Amino acid sequence: MRRLIKLSVHYPKTTIWISVFITLAFLSQIPKIKIDTDPENMLSQKEWVRRYHNQVKKTFSIEDLIVVGITNPDNPYGVFNKESLNRIANATNQILDIKGVVIKDVISPTTVDDIQERGGMLSIDRLQKGMIEDPQQALIIQKRALVNPLFKDKLISHDGKDLCLYIPIEKKDQSYRISNEIKLILNDILKAEKYFISGLPVAEDTFGIEMFKQMGVSSPISAFLVLLLIYLFIRKISLSIAAMMVAFFSIIWTMGLLIGMGYTVHIMSSMIPIFLIPISVDDSVHVLSHFSEVYQKHKDKKVAIIKVIDDLWSPMLYTTLTTMAGFASLALTPIPPVQVFGLFICFGKFVAWILTMTLIPAFAVLLNEEKLHNFGREEESHTPLTRFLNRLATFSITRQKVILPIALAFILLSTYGLTRIVVNDNPVKWFSENHPIRIADRILNKTFGGTYMTYLVFEGSKEGAMKSPDVMKYIEKMQRQIESSPIVGKTSSVVDIIKKLSYEIHDENENYNVLPETQEAIAQYLFLYQNSGDPQDLFRYISYDDKKANIWIQMKKGDNQDMTGLEEKVKNFIAHNPLPEDIQVHWAGLTYLNVVWQEKMVQGMLKSLMGSFAVVFLMMIFLFRSFKWGILSMIPLSFSILLIYGTIGLIGKNYDMPVAVLSALTLGLSIDYAIHFIGRSRMFYTSDKGWRKTIYETFDEPALAISRNAIVVALAFLPLLLAPLIPYKTVGVFLAAIIALSGIATLILLPSIISIFGNSLYETKAKYLPLEEAFKIAIAFLILISLTIGKFVTPYGYLLAALVCFGLIQSVFTGFCLIKILLKKAGVKD
Amino acid sequence: MRKRHTRLLSLALLLILFITCKLFAEQKPLDGNSIMGKTLNAYYYAQNDGKAHVFMRLVNKEGKERIRDFTMLRLDKEDGGEQYYYAYFTKPPDVNRTVFMVWKHIDRDDDRWLYLPAIDLVKRISANDKRSSYVGSDFTYEDVSGRHLNDDEHTLIKEEAINGKNAYVIKSTPKDKDEVEFNYRLVWSDKQTFLTLKVEYYNRRNELYKEMITNKIEIIEGTPTVTKATMKDLKGGHYTEIEFKKIDYNVGLKKNIFAERYLRKPPVKWIK
Repeated sequence: MRRLIKLSVHYPKTTIWISVFITLAFLSQIPKIKIDTDPENMLSQKEWVRRYHNQVKKTFSIEDLIVVGITNPDNPYGVFNKESLNRIANATNQILDIKGVVIKDVISPTTVDDIQERGGMLSIDRLQKGMIEDPQQALIIQKRALVNPLFKDKLISHDGKDLCLYIPIEKKDQSYRISNEIKLILNDILKAEKYFISGLPVAEDTFGIEMFKQMGVSSPISAFLVLLLIYLFIRKISLSIAAMMVAFFSIIWTMGLLIGMGYTVHIMSSMIPIFLIPISVDDSVHVLSHFSEVYQKHKDKKVAIIKVIDDLWSPMLYTTLTTMAGFASLALTPIPPVQVFGLFICFGKFVAWILTMTLIPAFAVLLNEEKLHNFGREEESHTPLTRFLNRLATFSITRQKVILPIALAFILLSTYGLTRIVVNDNPVKWFSENHPIRIADRILNKTFGGTYMTYLVFEGSKEGAMKSPDVMKYIEKMQRQIESSPIVGKTSSVVDIIKKLSYEIHDENENYNVLPETQEAIAQYLFLYQNSGDPQDLFRYISYDDKKANIWIQMKKGDNQDMTGLEEKVKNFIAHNPLPEDIQVHWAGLTYLNVVWQEKMVQGMLKSLMGSFAVVFLMMIFLFRSFKWGILSMIPLSFSILLIYGTIGLIGKNYDMPVAVLSALTLGLSIDYAIHFIGRSRMFYTSDKGWRKTIYETFDEPALAISRNAIVVALAFLPLLLAPLIPYKTVGVFLAAIIALSGIATLILLPSIISIFGNSLYETKAKYLPLEEAFKIAIAFLILISLTIGKFVTPYGYLLAALVCFGLIQSVFTGFCLIKILLKKAGVKD
Repeated sequence: MRKRHTRLLSLALLLILFITCKLFAEQKPLDGNSIMGKTLNAYYYAQNDGKAHVFMRLVNKEGKERIRDFTMLRLDKEDGGEQYYYAYFTKPPDVNRTVFMVWKHIDRDDDRWLYLPAIDLVKRISANDKRSSYVGSDFTYEDVSGRHLNDDEHTLIKEEAINGKNAYVIKSTPKDKDEVEFNYRLVWSDKQTFLTLKVEYYNRRNELYKEMITNKIEIIEGTPTVTKATMKDLKGGHYTEIEFKKIDYNVGLKKNIFAERYLRKPPVKWIK
C-alpha cells in the first residue's frame, strides 16, 4: 500500500488517468439501472411467507389495482345523479380502451354484475347498463349497490355518495403510463366530480420517480455543499476538487458495480450516493487538514504529503475498517435491500480509502509551488472555530462534575426511551402528509372500507373442503369477529356471495339471507353464480378445487401494529373456537408481509449492531494495544447510539427501516472521531507534558479536523430534507443529530473522562502482543467471522474458515503465511 | 310432330334452366350473411332434434380442473328459428339433478329456467345479458345455443385452408356492441360442411382475447358433427374443453318435455 502511495507521488498524472479510466469503466454500467420499488422485496424471495403470499395471489387471481375514487361534493346524492353516472360510464369505456388494462376485471358500475330478483326472474346483469336516461335510475343504482354486500364499502362508499373504480393492470411496470392516461381521460370527462388516484402500483411507480429525484437533486446539492465547505476550510480549489473526485469516483465505482452485478436500485440503495459523499470525503478532510499544517514546516510537497500519510496511516486504516465493519454488519439483517445497502457502502468506503491514498497525494504534488506559499494555517489559528475549541477543552477537563452526571442522566433517560421504542413501518407513510397519494389514501379510507388489504386463507386438504356448511359457518363467524375491530372497514368472502344469492333467489326475503344447511345447496348456489358475465370472479374467494377460501380484509390503517393487533384477535378467536377438522388458516397480503419483514428487521438489526460492536471493540483493543483505551474509544459511539434510539423511543417516532440503518452509520462515524482524538492525543503525550497539555494540543489541529469533518458531514446530509419522501427526511434529520452527538461525546465526554484518570491513563504501557499471540487471535477471529457470515448471511461464508485452514496447513510445508505477513505489515512486532 | 315439339321444348327449357342456374350462380355467389346462415344451421340446427352426453372440462391457469357432465336434449321448431334446449347435470356430484332449460326465440330474449334440487326451487333466469358464461365455462350461452344471424353484420373477408380444409373466413361485427364482450369475431367455416372450424374473438382494443378451436368432426347418422371443441381465454389463461358423446339425431323429442314441470321430474326416457 505504501508503495502504491509512493508510486502515485512519483507518477501523479498517470495515477489520475488510471483512476479516471477505471471510473469510466464503472460509469458505463450505470445506464443499465433498474429501479425496484416493490415492497415485497423487503423479504427474500426464498422466504416462506412471501412465497405463500404469491401462491395466494395466484390461486385467487389477485391483481395489481389502480384505485380511482370519485366524489361529487356539491350534489346531495354525490355521484349518484344521472350526469355524473353517465360521465363515469363514459370514462369507464375509455379506460377500457387503454392498452394494458385487464378488460374483464375492471370494477365500475357499468362493468360489474349485480344479482337481483326482478319480476319473478333472477337476473345477473350489469349494475348500470350503459348510459341512463331517467334521473330516477341513478337512485335505483345507488340503492342496488348499497344492498349488495360485495359492492358496499368497496364500489360504493357507506354513505352512498362516492364511487370507487378498480382498474386491474396486466403488468405492474405499466402503471405509471396507465394512471397518466386515466388522469387525462378523467380530466377531460369529469366536471363537478373530483377524483383521487391511489393503489399500490401507482404508489410504487411514484416512489421510483421520487427516488430518482432524490438521487438527481439531493446528491448533487450535497456534493456541491461539501465542495464549498472544504474550499472554505483549506482555500485551495484544486485540492477541494481532488476531495470531491474521491467522493464522486467512489460513488460511480460503487453504483457501477451494484448495477453491473445486476442488483436493482431499491429505496435503500438509492441512498448509497448521498451516504458515500460524506463518508468518502471523511479521510480527505483529515489528510488535507494535516497537509496544510505539515507543509508549512517542510515547504516541500512530496516530503509533506508522505509525512502526512505516515502520520495518519494507522488512524485512517482503522477508521476505514471500522466504518466498513459498521456497514458490512448490515448484511446480518435478513432484509435483502438492507444487506445490499450495507455491503456496497462497505465497498464504497474501501474505494474511497484507496483513492484518498492515491488521488489526494497525486493532486498535492501537482500543485504549483508558487501558489502554495500562502497555504497553511497561520491565519487560521484565530478563527472562531479554533478559539471555540480551545474554550471547549477547558470546559471538558474542568467541569467533570457537571458533565458526567448530565451524561449519566441522559443515559438513564435514553435507556427508558429504548423500552418505549415502537417498531412500525408503512410504505404509504413514506410519502409526505400532503402528497396526492396520502390525500387519496385518507379520503378513500374515510368513506370506503379501507385500502389496506390482507387475506385470511382457509385451507383444507380434501377437494371441496370449503363447501362444507361447517366451514362456511366458521368463515362467517370469523368475518364478524374480524369486523368487530375498529380498524377493519370491511370483509368479504364466498359466504357473502352465497347469502346474497339465497336472499335474491327467494324474492329478497330477509329470512333467507343466511347460509344454507347442506353442501349440495352451497354447491348449487355457486353453480348458479357462475352463469354470470365473469365466472372467474368467484375464484377470488374460493379456489378452483374448492380446497381453499379466503376472507378479504380491508383495513383503514396499514401500520404493522394494526396488523399485529388483528392477528392476535384472530389467534384468540381460534383458541376459543377451534377450527373445523382438517382446516388450517394462514395470513397473506402486503400489510401482513410488512409485519413479517419488520419483525425480521428488528431482530436482524440487533444482531448486526452487536456483531459490529464486538468487531469494532476488538479492533480498538488491537489498535491502541490497550484494553482501557479500547473501552474509552467505545464510549462516544455507545453514548450516541443509546441517545439516538432513546430519543426515538421518547418522541414516539416509529422505528422503521431508515431509522434501523442509522445505527450502522453512527457506529462508523463516532468511532472515527474517537480514533483520531485518542490516537493523536497519545502521540502527543510525553511525561513532561502531562495530560492537561496533551488534551489542549489535541484540541488544536485534530479537534479542528474532527469539527470540520462533523460540519461537512452534517451539512452534506441536509439536502435530504428537500427530498419529498419521508425516509430520506428522517435520515437527514437524524444524521445531523447523530453527528452533533458524536462530536459532543468525543470532544466533551471523552476528555472529561480522561481528565479523571489523568496521567496514569497515558502512562499505561501499550501491550505489544508477540506475533504468535496476535496470530492466534487473528485465526480465531477469522473463524468467528466465517461462522457468523455462514450462519446468518450466506453459507459461502464457511469458505473463509476452509480457506484459513488450508492456509495454515500449507504454511507448515511452505513457510509462507499470509496472515503473519499481514500482521507484520499492521505493525505487530516479531 | 308433337313428340318432336315436346322434345325440343323440354330441351329448350332445360337449356334455359341451365343458363338461369348458371347466371344465378354467377350473379349471387355466397356472401358473408348466407355463409353464416348455413354455418349456424349446420352447427346448431343439425337435423330436427338431437340428444348427446356432454362432458366439459374447465381448466384454470394453474392447471386445476372442474367438470360439468350433462345430458343435452334439443328440439328445433325450424332451421334458423325457435329451439328448445334441456340440460340435465350429473356431475360434479353436488349439482347432480340440476337442470337448465332454454327456449330460444328469434324476435325477443330467450327464456331460461334453472332447477336447483338441493332447495327444490325452479327459477326463471333473465337472459338479457349476452355475455353470461354457460355454467362457469369459457363458453357463453350464445356459444352453446348459437347467436342470432341478425345480431351481427357478416362479411366474407377471405377464403383459406385451415388444417387441410378449405374454409370461408367471415368477420361478424355485432350491431349492438354494448350487449356483448367482443368487438368482432372471425369465423372459419368449412366450405363443404359449413361447420365452424375456428373462431377468433377480438376485444374493444382489437386484441385477440378468446379463441375456439374445433378439435374433432365426426359423421353421425350421415350428418357431419363437431364432437370436440376447445374455448380458450387467451388473457386469463383458462380454457374449457367440450366433448359430445352418444350423439343421436331425430330421436323423436316432443315439445311437451321442454316444460317447467319436467324440471323437477326429468324425462327419464330421454336423459338416460
